[in-house]
Amino acid sequence: MTAVPQEKVAQLDAIEESGWGQPYRFLQPHNVAFWVYVVGVGAGAITMLRVFGPGAQFYTPALAGGVVLFGLYLIPWLLLLRHHNRFTAQPASLLATGFVWGGVAATFWIALPANAALLAIWAKIGGTSFAQDWGAGLTAPINEEFGKAIGLILLIGLAPRLVRSAYDGFIIGAFIGLGFQVFEDILYVYNGATQQYGVDQLGSSLRVFIVRGAAGIVSHALFSAIFCAGLMWVLGRTRGERNVVRGVLTMLMAMFFHFAWDDMGGLSNGGVWAAILPFLIAAVELTALFYVLRHAAKHERTWIRELLTPELATGAVDPPLLDAVSGLRRDRKKYRKHLHSRRTANHRLEAASDLAQEIARANGAESPGVVHTRAELLRLHNKP
Amino acid sequence: MSTREWVPVEQRWFGLDRRTFKAGFSALAIALLLIYGWQGLNAAIPWHNEIRAGQVLDLGDGATAVPPVGWQLEQGTLVGGAGASATSLQVLLAQGGATIELIGAAYDGSAAAFLDQVHRSQGSPPGVTAARGSLTTDSGLVGVVESGSGPSGDGVDVAFKMGTGDAVDTAPALLVRVRTASGQFEHYEDQVGAMLRSITPGAAR
Repeated sequence: MTAVPQEKVAQLDAIEESGWGQPYRFLQPHNVAFWVYVVGVGAGAITMLRVFGPGAQFYTPALAGGVVLFGLYLIPWLLLLRHHNRFTAQPASLLATGFVWGGVAATFWIALPANAALLAIWAKIGGTSFAQDWGAGLTAPINEEFGKAIGLILLIGLAPRLVRSAYDGFIIGAFIGLGFQVFEDILYVYNGATQQYGVDQLGSSLRVFIVRGAAGIVSHALFSAIFCAGLMWVLGRTRGERNVVRGVLTMLMAMFFHFAWDDMGGLSNGGVWAAILPFLIAAVELTALFYVLRHAAKHERTWIRELLTPELATGAVDPPLLDAVSGLRRDRKKYRKHLHSRRTANHRLEAASDLAQEIARANGAESPGVVHTRAELLRLHNKP
Repeated sequence: MSTREWVPVEQRWFGLDRRTFKAGFSALAIALLLIYGWQGLNAAIPWHNEIRAGQVLDLGDGATAVPPVGWQLEQGTLVGGAGASATSLQVLLAQGGATIELIGAAYDGSAAAFLDQVHRSQGSPPGVTAARGSLTTDSGLVGVVESGSGPSGDGVDVAFKMGTGDAVDTAPALLVRVRTASGQFEHYEDQVGAMLRSITPGAAR
């Protein structure tokens, strides 16, 4: 019997615990989460047809403009989220499942009827002026954050081994939020056109695109990323990651940001604050986002370190590269300085991530993928 | 099917995997609570926002209207409230199944052209429509009226441009949409007429 080196044991533990390399399959007829997802998206799609259907012909220019503009708007978002998906590299099909939930089910199945009812409740309780000032901010953070987070719960049901850490929650939450944001924006384009009774439809969709597109930088994708990271801390699906207090506070923080964004008019009460507040809130939200991201990525960084440590012996990875690929932004910056070439450093970092993914996919064994990605990394090391 | 996806016999229930119940049913429960919980609570809470004598609706940009006493204000604000925008105005008054909506929009053109645009985009009043007429408010605004009646209900649409003189074409447009059950409009005719005549543009207009 051969003794397994400690590094190899840690690597296998990291693969097991993280779920990296696990395949994702959407079609799971034996899974209740699959059927709830189908019902939610199906009911959302029917509602969507009911909303857009009757006026679709008359409002075609507005709808087409909205779909094209917000379709293009998706591209930089997807590139940004792809960059942040570097640790876990969640399968694209899993992220697409989350995106569709956010866009169709959370928006049209849950938020539309739930918001209408709760807004009416606020008007009944506090009067129409109160509802106008505060209704949106007291409604959307409850219905929309929980509506989107249901998508994360269903993905836990569909891929329990893949959705493990707060970082997984952060990335999946961002995709669910992005889906919600884009579909809601198209709904806003449609509503904007109906409010003008179809006059200047393309101009109307362009105006909505500019306003909502700019506001969208610190909107649903951000709220959901924070909220879902918090939910994962509450659920604690990884050893040592459960922290209910931190999780609940993080979820409340996301809801508060949503409230502040929706009720900016009520909070600023006009005047100079109305001009300053959006930038102030955006700055606070982005700071909080990076704080949550940093804490959520803690486990992922440990796992990737454990995954690649045995590669020190093969020479494919050296200590500075290991520190950079499992480190923070400052570690990657340090590595770039160490190599005196940003380009070379980025190539090696990406190749190291490829190797980590192949090792996880092969469950720690020597597969053709592992051999190839290791050879690629060695080739980069030997490149003059 | 891989062994990882295999459902052990003791975990099966009518072809479903019991281990997936927790995530699936908790997600379903939260969704149903959000969708139907709020709707149920909303249905259980009655409106207590009755219009009292002397109250005046804010139509934005200083424009006003006197709503019928006793109707419930379900959307929109009174003068002295949160304020309103003339080009995105949404007011809803309700009484015994009848509703009056006041909707503001930006529109360049006459009141008649605005009403044409409204009907092109959203359809005419229900049933058989009568010939268009006009209505002059106490403040001198001239509105274009079109009414309809049929088995699905009675309806009246009135379009105004909230300005007078040279500014009329560029002024915000106001649509007043009244809907009642079939044959019921005559019960509300006096109240609706009084409210329509009370519509006053802002001082700036």
